[in-house]
Amino acid sequence: MTPACLGRRPVWEGNFLKSFILRRVLQAVPLLFFISLVSFALIKLAPGDPVLSFVTPNMGAEDVERIRQSLGLDKPVYIQYFLWLKNVLTGDFGYSLINHRPVLTMIAERIPATIGLMGTALVLSLIITVPLSMYAGSRKNRPVDRLLSLFSYIGISIPSFWFGILLIFWFSFKLHWLPSMGMRTVGSNSAWDIMKHGILPVMVLSFINISMYMRYIRSSTISEMEEDYVQIQYAYGSTRNTILWRHVFRNVLLPVVTILGMSLPELIAGAFITESVFSWPGMGSLGITSVSGLDYPVIMGITMLTSVMLVIGNLTADILYGVVDPRIKTAG
Amino acid sequence: MNRKYLWLTALLISVMTVLSACGGEGGNSSTASSGQNSSASSAPADNGQPKDGGSIIIAVSDDPKALNPLYAGDRVTLTINQALYSPLFNINDGKKTFVLAESEKVSDDHLTYTIKLRSGLKWHDGQPITADDLVFSINSILDEKQNNPFRSMYVFNGKPVKVSKVDDLTVNIVLPEVSAAFDGALVQLYPIPEHIFKGEADIEKSRKNSNPVGSGPFKFKEYRPGEYVTLERFDDYFAAKPHLDSVTYRIAKDPNAANLALQNGEIQMRMVDTQDYKKLKDTGKFNLLVYPEGRLQYMVFNLNIPSMQNVKVRQAIAYALDKNEMIAASYSSSEFAEPAPSILTPDTLYQTSDLEKYDYNLDKAKQLLSEAGVSNLKLRLAYSNTNKPQESQALYVQQKLKDAGIEVELVPMDVTAYGNKTLDMNNKDFELNFGGYIMGYEPDAYKSLYMSNEAYNYSHYKNPEFDALWDKGAVETDEAKRAELYKQIQQTVANEMTVYPIAYTKAVVAVDNSYGGIEEARPKPVVMLEDLSKLYKK
Repeated sequence: MTPACLGRRPVWEGNFLKSFILRRVLQAVPLLFFISLVSFALIKLAPGDPVLSFVTPNMGAEDVERIRQSLGLDKPVYIQYFLWLKNVLTGDFGYSLINHRPVLTMIAERIPATIGLMGTALVLSLIITVPLSMYAGSRKNRPVDRLLSLFSYIGISIPSFWFGILLIFWFSFKLHWLPSMGMRTVGSNSAWDIMKHGILPVMVLSFINISMYMRYIRSSTISEMEEDYVQIQYAYGSTRNTILWRHVFRNVLLPVVTILGMSLPELIAGAFITESVFSWPGMGSLGITSVSGLDYPVIMGITMLTSVMLVIGNLTADILYGVVDPRIKTAG
Repeated sequence: MNRKYLWLTALLISVMTVLSACGGEGGNSSTASSGQNSSASSAPADNGQPKDGGSIIIAVSDDPKALNPLYAGDRVTLTINQALYSPLFNINDGKKTFVLAESEKVSDDHLTYTIKLRSGLKWHDGQPITADDLVFSINSILDEKQNNPFRSMYVFNGKPVKVSKVDDLTVNIVLPEVSAAFDGALVQLYPIPEHIFKGEADIEKSRKNSNPVGSGPFKFKEYRPGEYVTLERFDDYFAAKPHLDSVTYRIAKDPNAANLALQNGEIQMRMVDTQDYKKLKDTGKFNLLVYPEGRLQYMVFNLNIPSMQNVKVRQAIAYALDKNEMIAASYSSSEFAEPAPSILTPDTLYQTSDLEKYDYNLDKAKQLLSEAGVSNLKLRLAYSNTNKPQESQALYVQQKLKDAGIEVELVPMDVTAYGNKTLDMNNKDFELNFGGYIMGYEPDAYKSLYMSNEAYNYSHYKNPEFDALWDKGAVETDEAKRAELYKQIQQTVANEMTVYPIAYTKAVVAVDNSYGGIEEARPKPVVMLEDLSKLYKK
């Protein structure tokens, strides 16, 4: 087998790529429809009544009934779904049941904060994980590998809210180095201020990311190291480091592409718990509020957006597989 | 936790910050963070004289809903509106203090309410506040298309009140029939400006709510969703000029993180849990306000279930419980919760403690049970699984009722599911459950919790004579007679034991020591402080 890093780059023939993308997009339509149906059903099956979440006993019964009607919540669930679907197809995601603001506006306000947070954590995690876990994988079961595995187990098992509070306790409360909550100091617009506020949540998210990614990349490295081409390189007299960084690296990119594809929806959906602990004004915070209030227009808005990102993420990953590894192209 | 790796992570993250520095918003990065970490040491000695200037950051748990007082019903929105808008008048301990209104006169037939506004009042945009605004506000509530949740307070037996302007500052409100409780509606009325909202098809969804024009001591400056709402001093406030330059309501979702931020000086005021009282008190950094929240915590007997329909069984359960022990078990100390004799809270008009108190008496409980011919009673007790005091109460009830030979099964439920179940008129899933309410000063407001066919009649107790008392109470204009009616109501519930009042709980608000004027600002249920204009930085 030829090492994958030789000069010739795999080229997707234009027509083939186009029809591939088209086919996948068409496949996505029924999928998204199915997701919307199931999520809507799940929200409606959840115990609770959205109206009750904002009704107080000093509102009259007839007032409550009128509000229910005005929100369309008196109609049968399947009619509610079709009305929702009809509006969404015209680009109208409706109004929040709680805040009475347009769902798309609410989501648009939150997306920058979430992408900034999740994106930084993602990039940082990859920069740290790829070299670290390749190093560990190439030295399977040596002390350094054991130590990194231990680290990864800790990261996977640690509850993020607890880790978040721990960081706040040390870095804000004890050392006074960093602010404990929010995205900025009141009234401030400086980038440095936002960054300072982002450090702790990014630490939490990266710690979790790194722990997860490490397991993929490490095991991928281990299996690559057993491939024939690695043995041949050894036979040519290459050192392990040369093999690792010049030859194995490219192949290890495959799981990285998978990770990127998987992370795309997360980039938009945010992190419910971490954002709540740090009162980060992103999609995760919005998600928590809307779920606890059974605010279905907002929940559905977030779900659909995340699903679209999931589809795009998978598609992008599949295309990138072909770029990274020409063997896959033919299977497409 | 492996410290070595924590440090490694920290190091890498600092590298990241430097790397991503160029990607951030192109703001002026040299701006010093505005004096947020208020160091208490530099504060001059407090000589009790209010000073002007400074700001405060108050923690709230979530984003506000529409910043429009005609629709506000939740804690966060009410809290922010309290500084942004002014009411016609306040009622504290039954005493009326006028705010926007100068006077209120009720005609001899008790049908016409004449409200006179102060002269020279201004909205935050400088426009005068007039009778037109008041007429517009009430008519908007009455307009069914506007979906106001409080409309029924202005409608009596299907007939709405009629509002008319007498002159620029005077408004007449004519009721279709006599009501003794109408002040209970007016006290909640925070007028909105007609010149802003006139012609809006849906005031609640109006974009104008994102830039509210109010009448309170502080005017709107900025709202960053998910982050904070900032208000700034309104110099034309009719009463004294507010001392603070600005007030910020910061959204702090996580209570543990918020308490750390409070101690860190990032937040200067927050309503805290009673469990945190001691910890915060010991820091010596805070003024901890403990005040009655006008809330009753209670246990409901579900009369849908046959075993609960015997009044002797209900009384037996009441005698088998020791209220003081229960409070000690769930609120750590009677400092935060007083034993409650009545279903009305002490701030409500005509509340009385001249009632059967059900002091702990196990023999009597056992006797009542045997009189009722009940043995081996098995009950289910439901409560919200995220409510710590309720959980402690439940464990206490379970233990204590064992002595009376009653077996209690605990049914912790998800808060929304629980809320729904209690509102299900035919619910037979549990015999007992816990709840809490804040109903305000007007006893008529409580009827939605007690009359036979009301949605919130959690006990499902149905009694036409009892309903008649509520109906009479709503229209009785003679103070003494009205007091007597509400006394009978309280006695009926106590004697019939359909709802077991547990405690009047208190709110605990922590305010940074560097602020004064708290007493003048008046601690108030739900919204923390009634008048923020009185608060000042020492």
